[in-house]
Amino acid sequence: MLGTQIKDVILKPDAPSSLLLDKHADYIAAYGSKKDDYEYTLSEYLRMSGIYWGLTVMDLMGQLDRMNLQEIIDFIKACQHDCGGFSASIGHDPHLLYTLSAVQILCLYDSLHAIDVDKVVEYVKGLQQEDGSFAGDKWGEIDTRFSFCAVATLALLGKMEMINVDRAVEFVLSCMNFDGGFGCRPGSESHAGQIYCCTGFLSLTGQLHQLNADLLGWWLCERQLPSGGLNGRPEKLPDVCYSWWVLASLKIIGRIHWIDKSRLRQFILACQDEETGGFADRPGDMVDPFHTLFGVAGLSLLGEEQVKAVNPVLCMPEDVLQRIGLQPDLLS
Amino acid sequence: MSGTGSEVDVLVQRVVRDLSTALNRNRNIDEIGLIPCPEARYNRSPIVMVENKLGVESWCVKFLLPYVHNKLLLYRQRRLWLDRQALVDITCTLLLLNPDLTTAWNVRKELVECGALSPERDLYLGKLALSKSPKSPETWIHRRWVLLHLLQKAPPADQNQTDAERSRLLGEQLAQTLQQEMKVCADAACRYPSNYNAWSHRIWVLQRLAKGNVKVFLDELSSMRPWVSAHVSDHSGFHYRQFLLQELTGALAPPAGCSSNGERSAVEEPPHDLPAVQQLFCHELELVSDLIRSFPGHETLWSHRRHVFFLWHRWKEQHPGDGGDEGGDPAEGAQTRLSQTSAGVPMEVERGCSSDPQDIKRLRRGVPLPQPPTSQTEHVFVSGLLDGCGPEQRSFALAYRKWLDTVVGVPS
Repeated sequence: MLGTQIKDVILKPDAPSSLLLDKHADYIAAYGSKKDDYEYTLSEYLRMSGIYWGLTVMDLMGQLDRMNLQEIIDFIKACQHDCGGFSASIGHDPHLLYTLSAVQILCLYDSLHAIDVDKVVEYVKGLQQEDGSFAGDKWGEIDTRFSFCAVATLALLGKMEMINVDRAVEFVLSCMNFDGGFGCRPGSESHAGQIYCCTGFLSLTGQLHQLNADLLGWWLCERQLPSGGLNGRPEKLPDVCYSWWVLASLKIIGRIHWIDKSRLRQFILACQDEETGGFADRPGDMVDPFHTLFGVAGLSLLGEEQVKAVNPVLCMPEDVLQRIGLQPDLLS
Repeated sequence: MSGTGSEVDVLVQRVVRDLSTALNRNRNIDEIGLIPCPEARYNRSPIVMVENKLGVESWCVKFLLPYVHNKLLLYRQRRLWLDRQALVDITCTLLLLNPDLTTAWNVRKELVECGALSPERDLYLGKLALSKSPKSPETWIHRRWVLLHLLQKAPPADQNQTDAERSRLLGEQLAQTLQQEMKVCADAACRYPSNYNAWSHRIWVLQRLAKGNVKVFLDELSSMRPWVSAHVSDHSGFHYRQFLLQELTGALAPPAGCSSNGERSAVEEPPHDLPAVQQLFCHELELVSDLIRSFPGHETLWSHRRHVFFLWHRWKEQHPGDGGDEGGDPAEGAQTRLSQTSAGVPMEVERGCSSDPQDIKRLRRGVPLPQPPTSQTEHVFVSGLLDGCGPEQRSFALAYRKWLDTVVGVPS
């Protein structure tokens, strides 16, 4: 390996090579039980998303019943503000990111009735700008991530028609770069996370034909490194969350076979922590619920039988979406 | 160290006050950080200033953060009243420790809106937060709001100023703000490789504060050249150059049928400066070729080459038959150039640029303009490299060739 300059990790021969589902379920079930933990306070600003990550991965592993439904519903209700939007936690300010997470969680529990749905729709609608873009909150930051959050929220509520979809599509397409990818705003660098959001957006709005699937697929499959892992941009290290952003995007555009699946699977499994349970961004690092979800979801997309089928657009169990009657487009 | 509620109260208030004092006294702090220090030393403040660096001893953080965090949230839920100064101090402490706490930044937005906090001080806090957390998305997001607020807020009219004077002062302010942002972005880019958030902010600033300003774009292109040469893995840095090139081609020589976009800058530029654009592309290709040879095996450099190739070709397609003063068909020019070189000496083909890259106005008439690379010239470039190169360079070179043939499909 002398002289290798490619930024990558090297998988150790004794890295985990089988899926340790029970350990992951135990890890998530116990996460956050010590609420005084300093680290827990540091991450409170994204708590709603953290809960969505934890619950979704538990559901994918068939262990959702280990979580406290009522406590979570009460928490979510306490996070809905007068404007209709949801905050990440009690006392924090509302934002589109946590509004989506809240709605996703309620869908997992078939409990949308617990909140004021019309108010949510009003909140999302109010964030659309003249050029079709969406602000994240009343303070006005524009990002294609928020376009995804908006349409995903409304799709789950069955209220997509409440926004100007054509304008929204126009804005997202204006963020398409020559390499087929997307950035956060027009003129921004292509990034796998933004690509996932824009691809998901185009799926939900029925506009996948506007993509250059071959071109984008090319960019995406070039994210795979010798270790088998995927990165988010050229010359970045592999990260298990990109096993989701990149893989789901490839699935949506019908080119998941352009990736070496077995090497990717090997990488994802190597990111598990055999002692604590959970997944880290790359082998040997600290685990967290975020990477645990995307590790398991990535494996599901690769066909892991021990895990429920996951929807590549919404990162939710397929059976939940079937119950709602939501089946976003995929290219073949 | 454990303490009663009131002991912790006293300690925390003291630390918050010390931090606020340190920031007020010294407007030149350029870096903050945590000092690993597991135990308090008797009666000494955990806030330490050395030269222009501000340190916070780590032992106090586990008391400090939850305390100020809870205070702020109680205020937000209207269960606690805090006066404006207390809010300034508490959010300041919080954000230096946890810059992604969106709600704290929002409280500061409200303070700016009501005039209790100056935008400049808020930008200063942001700059400090970025010295410790150069990626922090919420810090960059908040920064953009403050800048927009600054732009929209017209300074009070001074009756003694003429319109021209006022215009000049505004222009100076804008230029100063622009330079400040470029510096903040540059520092953050140095602190974290391929810092997407820093570079996308940099682009945002130019899009908002320097639209159509050719001089700014040229200066940026020029000043970034040594930086990217020293950071050949930094994909965001190279993407920034792609952005600058695109903006420059749009400002210097927009596609037929369009006028120069954006406001006219004060610098007088002809609306169609085709040779200038050709030179820019030529120099960029030269730069990336040199770097590819000097630093084999960097995907970023090959990615940049793809972008430059594509941009030049697309621009050329939008300016058909514009070969400059020499007239004639640019394709013909390319053929002539190729026939004059021998295969395997690609450098000859590329060195069609003038010797003085920035001296666009002094381009001599009659000098043949550099032509865009063709599939043919690029194949020669790739072949020239394949001999004796390492496996990484080889794989990127071959991938580039495959991309040319498959994706671009430029006829040879």
